[in-house]
Amino acid sequence: MVNPDLGQEERLLRPIESPTRAFTIFISVLFVLSAWGFVAWMAQLRRGLAATGMNVPIYWGLYITNFVFFIGISHAGTLISAILRLAHAEWRRSITRAAEVITVLVLFFGMGSILLDLGRPDRVLNVILHGNFHSPLLWDVVSVSCYLTASTVYLFLPLIPDIAILRDRQGPHAAFYRLLALGWTGTARQQHLLEKTISMMAVLVIPVAVSVHTVVSWVFAMTVQPMWHSTIFGPYFVVGAIFSGIGAIIIGMALIRRAYHLEEYLKPIHFNNLGLLLLVMCLLWFYFTFAEFLTTYYGADPSHMTVFLSKTEGEFSHLFWTMFVACFLIPFVLLANNRTRWTVWGTVTASVSVEIGMWLERYLIVVPSLSRPRLPMEAAKYSPSWVEWSLFLAFASAFVLLYALFTRFFPIISIWEIREGRAHSAREVSARVESYLPAAEEPAQ
Amino acid sequence: MKMERRRFMGLVLGATSGAAVGLSAGHLLARTFATADSPYDPPGGVEALRLSVCSLCPGGCGVQVRCIGGRPVKVGGNPRHPVSGGRLCPKGLAALQSLYHPDRIPAPMRRKGDRGSLASFERRTWEEAFAEIGGSLRSIREKGKPESVVLLRGGALGLGARVGSRFLSAFGSPNEVRLDRGDEAAALATSLTQGVKAVPVYDLSATDYVLSLGSGLLEASGSPVATARAFGEFRQVRTGRRGKFVQVESRLSMTGAAADEWIAVNPGTEGVFALGIASVLVNEDLYDRDFLASHAVGFDSVHGTDGEPAMGLRALLGREFNLERVALETGVSVNVILRVARELHAARASLVVGPRRGPLLPGSLFDHLAAQALNALIGNIDKEGGVLVAEETPIPPWAPLAAKGRGADGRRRPRLDSVGKHPLPFACSDPEALAEAMLSRKPYPVEVLLLQDADPLVFTATPSRFGQALERIPLVVAISAFPSETALASDWILPEAHFLERWDLHTTPPGISFPLASVAKPVLEQPLVDARSAVDIFLELARRVGGEVASAFPAGDAPALIRHDLDGIFAAQRGAVMGTTFDEAWVRMMEGAGWWAPGYRTAEELWQGALDSGGWWDPFYDHGEWARVLKTPSGRFDLRPGLLKELAQAPGRPGSDDRKVVPDLPLLLFEPLSIAGGFGAELPFLPALLDPGHEERWETWAEIHPETAKIHGIKDKGWVRVRSTAGSVVVRCLVTWRVVPGAVAIPVGLGKRGGGRWARYMGANPFRLLGGERDSRSGLPDFQATRVRLEAAQGPEMGPGALAAWRGAGLSSRDLQNTQVFRS
Amino acid sequence: MARWGMVIDLDRCTACQACVVACQVENNIPPASADAAARGRALAWIRLVPFGKEGKEAGGEPPALRLIPVPCMHCEHPPCTKVCPVQATQVGDDGLVAQVYARCIGCRYCTTACPYTVRQFNWDRPVFPEPMERGLSPDVSVRPRGVVEKCSFCHHRLQLAKDQARLEGRPLQDGDYVPACVESCPPGAMAFGDLDDPRSTVSRLAQSHRAFRLLEELGTHPKVVYLSKGEWGGES
Ligand SMILES: Nc1nc2c(c(=O)[nH]1)N[C@H]1C(S)=C(S)[C@@H](COP(=O)(O)OP(=O)(O)OC[C@H]3O[C@@H](n4cnc5c(=O)[nH]c(N)nc54)[C@H](O)[C@@H]3O)O[C@H]1N2
Ligand SMILES: Nc1nc2c(c(=O)[nH]1)N[C@H]1C(S)=C(S)[C@@H](COP(=O)(O)OP(=O)(O)OC[C@H]3O[C@@H](n4cnc5c(=O)[nH]c(N)nc54)[C@H](O)[C@@H]3O)O[C@H]1N2
Ligand code: SF4
Ligand code: SF4
Ligand code: SF4
Ligand code: SF4
Ligand code: SF4
Ligand SMILES: [Mo]
Repeated sequence: MVNPDLGQEERLLRPIESPTRAFTIFISVLFVLSAWGFVAWMAQLRRGLAATGMNVPIYWGLYITNFVFFIGISHAGTLISAILRLAHAEWRRSITRAAEVITVLVLFFGMGSILLDLGRPDRVLNVILHGNFHSPLLWDVVSVSCYLTASTVYLFLPLIPDIAILRDRQGPHAAFYRLLALGWTGTARQQHLLEKTISMMAVLVIPVAVSVHTVVSWVFAMTVQPMWHSTIFGPYFVVGAIFSGIGAIIIGMALIRRAYHLEEYLKPIHFNNLGLLLLVMCLLWFYFTFAEFLTTYYGADPSHMTVFLSKTEGEFSHLFWTMFVACFLIPFVLLANNRTRWTVWGTVTASVSVEIGMWLERYLIVVPSLSRPRLPMEAAKYSPSWVEWSLFLAFASAFVLLYALFTRFFPIISIWEIREGRAHSAREVSARVESYLPAAEEPAQ
Repeated sequence: MKMERRRFMGLVLGATSGAAVGLSAGHLLARTFATADSPYDPPGGVEALRLSVCSLCPGGCGVQVRCIGGRPVKVGGNPRHPVSGGRLCPKGLAALQSLYHPDRIPAPMRRKGDRGSLASFERRTWEEAFAEIGGSLRSIREKGKPESVVLLRGGALGLGARVGSRFLSAFGSPNEVRLDRGDEAAALATSLTQGVKAVPVYDLSATDYVLSLGSGLLEASGSPVATARAFGEFRQVRTGRRGKFVQVESRLSMTGAAADEWIAVNPGTEGVFALGIASVLVNEDLYDRDFLASHAVGFDSVHGTDGEPAMGLRALLGREFNLERVALETGVSVNVILRVARELHAARASLVVGPRRGPLLPGSLFDHLAAQALNALIGNIDKEGGVLVAEETPIPPWAPLAAKGRGADGRRRPRLDSVGKHPLPFACSDPEALAEAMLSRKPYPVEVLLLQDADPLVFTATPSRFGQALERIPLVVAISAFPSETALASDWILPEAHFLERWDLHTTPPGISFPLASVAKPVLEQPLVDARSAVDIFLELARRVGGEVASAFPAGDAPALIRHDLDGIFAAQRGAVMGTTFDEAWVRMMEGAGWWAPGYRTAEELWQGALDSGGWWDPFYDHGEWARVLKTPSGRFDLRPGLLKELAQAPGRPGSDDRKVVPDLPLLLFEPLSIAGGFGAELPFLPALLDPGHEERWETWAEIHPETAKIHGIKDKGWVRVRSTAGSVVVRCLVTWRVVPGAVAIPVGLGKRGGGRWARYMGANPFRLLGGERDSRSGLPDFQATRVRLEAAQGPEMGPGALAAWRGAGLSSRDLQNTQVFRS
Repeated sequence: MARWGMVIDLDRCTACQACVVACQVENNIPPASADAAARGRALAWIRLVPFGKEGKEAGGEPPALRLIPVPCMHCEHPPCTKVCPVQATQVGDDGLVAQVYARCIGCRYCTTACPYTVRQFNWDRPVFPEPMERGLSPDVSVRPRGVVEKCSFCHHRLQLAKDQARLEGRPLQDGDYVPACVESCPPGAMAFGDLDDPRSTVSRLAQSHRAFRLLEELGTHPKVVYLSKGEWGGES
């Protein structure tokens, strides 16, 4: 029987057991914003995609940008948490769940963006009825579904002991928790099984996660279009995805810490460590971007160059250089500096900047290539309509809304893992560190 | 077995891919039109191909209409027709959009309120229309003032035009004024040099070098499809050698784009360029001595009997058109002029094509004369691959009108426009002078203005003067299929039947050498709206007037009139029904022996054959019939050096002044094929085409060279106000190398305030920039005398956005007409 | 099996755009409005693509403007069909790249994958103001809003020709069917037929030294062949 008395960890249940008024207001605002998206969606259903700003040849716009962006964010959670778990990074204990929830929830909005983009959403089942496995879009459907399933399982497994805690405290919704707890009693056998499955899932989920954004990149790279048809796109997208994903975790953590006063659990060290990871991704992002643009520039294929120039000095240049500043300069300066990286505001500022920059990067991948087709075309301009902006806003709000609701019903910091950490990890870590070192000198024989 | 499988697979594919195409058509259509005004009712019944003649331009293409259960569903070319040969231009292909146009005038309309909008008209019956209009015509005639009835004719063609003219003459008015002056200067030049007033025919397909002096040959020639077909042959079939096409013009037109070389000249100097070529040919002794010696006058200077020296062309060229001067004036290097002259001579059969838009430009009579002279120098007159004179269709003229009586008296009264008067000896039709006469009521007031297919509020050099003049005329009657701007300002609109709804007979279109008569029988038995053909309208009016007017026609209805003409053709004992294939040598031999094998033996057989095939034609051209093609008093080709000299010195002719620094720029107007000749913007497929070299669609633009843009501080794609002394228009500015520095080029054809939902308020009408300037001798509007300035502007005055804004401001279209934006 | 292909002789083409309108009326393409055109949403299955050369680009040559009519190339290796997630566009066994309007989900992946930008999307419901729908061809469906369409090489004409040939008990051959644009081209710049039949006009023309294909380097193997401008005095 699990002890329902949690001692220090009691405060982790406070958002669930005694929600505040501020929380209710926050939720309501998000709900209104999401409902506005519903209005916009109705408008789009009535008028079709004519309600958007898309045209010939800019057939794709905000929706596809958001698809890539949201799927990118999803790399935060599951992937990072899996890597940290496998690496036995002990500081992970208070952040993994917050990260994993991001993944599961944001994936819905990634897929939702594709649905919004369909001219005939009523026929979406054709993807199953008449699926064409040559199409990278179908690969996407498959790999995102796998990822969603795996991530959900991976989120759920470590949640079981915590759900059992909630069940045992006999608060409201006990029946709901009883159902989800799957009869968890915390026996050694269960504990062992759980830990084994979690590590197995952690191994499994990494290739799936990598495949997801690789396949997303292939939606573009498998065409012959200028500045899309690039072998580097797979890793480039994965790096970008992790980059924006870590940013999202940092922002999410800061919000939780602030809202639920979890300063004890989410310490500057957590921000520093994630900040370091973000810095690595930032440098990798720069490396890939540089490699991509330099190769294009030296190849100087005219059709690629028109797209290249439209980004570096043409109509997209202001967005391009904003992206560069936001994705590289700002995070680099903030994160390379010990003083700022050790602060919450420093890493959060860097992360917000990264999110903006990465969204722009996605936009700048989708739109400029389309606006400069190989055969000269009317240089139509794309400016997203109110419907597209509304739906973007609504998707973002709905994501935060669902995230907030999650924290309302489940502990956003894994209680049992923290307790386990308190109980065993100091010992385990020192044993492990010892095992790294050469054995203490034996007296000569 | 394998084959069976394949076939089966084919069927399966048909059910999936082509699929939707056949089987689910009904379903999809039903679904598509679920919320449309009316459910779509698919055609059913027997499929048939019916023949007609396109009347959307003077081109005279035979068309073939696919009908299902009597409903036309596609217009294509009649493959047996010698003009179209089964092909059509975009306008002809879009003809069903005019037949099924939602804004066709539904029935006779009488104005009850303000001018300018269909809302102020009310529906009447034809009987009411004929009673009122016929009644006032009759009383005017009885009062002895038949000359106060004016017929202003636009693009009307075929039998309708002939019946209209005949009606007016018989009625007793000399005032038939035409708007369609596109070919007048060319015809004038032929008349002055060859004594035949006819549009020159260029034998394009049989030549292998074309020097085109700014002609819109491939955009807006007299018969665009026939010209395009000839161009195809010129490229590689007839001569066995690929021809070269050199285009000399100030703005790279679509013709220039299709050409092999574009020689950019200073605006208005094509004729000078031609004479520069001529002087090289003379200097280098590359001209056709034999032709000049035997068939021309005016080459060498002569001393007249009265001792007055008359300068010959040779001397004129030497004195006025030496290479350096020509190079300076045209802006073309001496080397290029020399090369082109030598190429022209070296070609096996070369041809100089005159500027077809001549009448509307200064010096353009000069340009045409120069082209004629150059063709004569290279011995190109009436030669294969040269300049021909069309043989007329042997339709006997209708019996002459009575030489005495009310009609004859009226016809002898002076015309209201300037035609035939001093100082414009060559004027042929002058609507701008007509507008002035209507305004001043001198020499006599106009009582009735009949508008046949004419939109003078859009397509004259002085549209606003016309607008004022209309208000002074007691009865204005517009025969028009669409609510054109002028129709909306009339008292009566009589809807004309669509060309697929009427009988018609078209003779040889401009630009074709051989005689033909295309016969059109109504494709639809009943017009879709309560409309009648112009022929029926005029015949009925003639009946109402009665007397000699009623009896002026050889028959009482359109089919009988056509039959009458065909009987005349039968009597000429030549030619054949269309579609007959000929072996020229064989037919010539037979004809030489007095035989003739037309494929019909009786007039009835000709009539049936013509209805079944599209008409009658006689394909052979006899070259060198000098008596027919040279009808000058001397019987020779007159090079007209004196007139050339005079015109070259006429005031306003573009000189070599450095336009790059002068703020006022010459205006170059051009017509994109799809909206050429005034009609086209009405049909929504056509304003979507315009000039394929640009992205501008559904709007009017102005082209300027990057240097000009820099000097005037104008940005590419920005809005500019183009201002002349007469008015201004706001258009989008395109900065392009396609126009020479120091000039502004604007397309004509949009900017109407009528014409139905698509044409209305789309683009701008550059004719509003023209003043009353005239060519010194022909009296035709002098386009290039118009100089314009450019100013950056805020936004369009027309177009959907602007219209919505005006509507939002609660303005009616009448208010719009009175607002400054339109007056300017 | 015939390999249907088109040859467009740029030497003869006068850029008249008759092909554009011929296609629109043949295939029930709804008329655009000024507004749709301004938004870049007007539909056309064949369009004229301008290539202007001037100054530096022309490399010392005098400035020139070339206009190239571009229908669907019916590529033998079409980049568009591979990417469609629902097999709504595929190469039929007659070699034409077909479009299944009733299945297309409107994702517009094919439109972005086509390097020739010839695919069109129905942004709006097609509107034919009364009584314009009377002029619609009963052989071709009107596409609903939200699906992609493109030049079909006048597939319905092929179906008719197949029926005819079957009726006459003979195999389908060159010349049995001609698309609407080819039929209407005034200067005769377009030819259509079986590229595999050595006696056909198109196969003869495709051998010409003037022949080239658009974006050949992409390996799409277009079945639309262009003939470049010739030389004065040269052979056809
Ligand atoms: N200053 C100046 N004036 C010009 C010109 C110029 O260049 N400069 N060009 C001149 C030339 S060359 C021409 S041809 C004219 C063209 O100008 P107009 O003679 O005025 O002819 P459109 O505008 O072609 O046709 C007049 C109206 O006829 C209607 N219409 C169309 N089909 C039919 C039909 O079958 N029956 C009837 N009754 N009506 C029909 C249309 O609504 C159209 O608005 O303009 C002339 N005027
Ligand atoms: N498709 C179609 N074709 C038509 C008609 C139609 O309705 N539809 N209408 C017919 C009729 S009524 C007419 S009148 C004719 C009109 O046809 P055209 O008389 O051929 O008129 P544009 O098309 O204006 O061609 C005139 C050319 O002259 C050039 N140009 C401009 N300024 C000057 C200059 O100063 N000097 C010289 N030499 N050239 C200059 C222009 O750039 C242009 O290339 O078209 C006929 N053809
Ligand atoms: S050229 Fe003139 S007559 Fe011929 S199809 Fe075109 S508009 Fe009709
Ligand atoms: S119809 Fe023929 S000539 Fe006209 S644009 Fe098309 S291909 Fe060129
Ligand atoms: S041209 Fe474009 S749409 Fe046509 S087959 Fe090739 S890739 Fe597909
Ligand atoms: S838009 Fe239609 S045809 Fe194109 S890829 Fe998507 S489903 Fe396939
Ligand atoms: S082949 Fe048919 S569908 Fe294709 S462009 Fe020509 S007319 Fe249109
Ligand atoms: Mo005209």
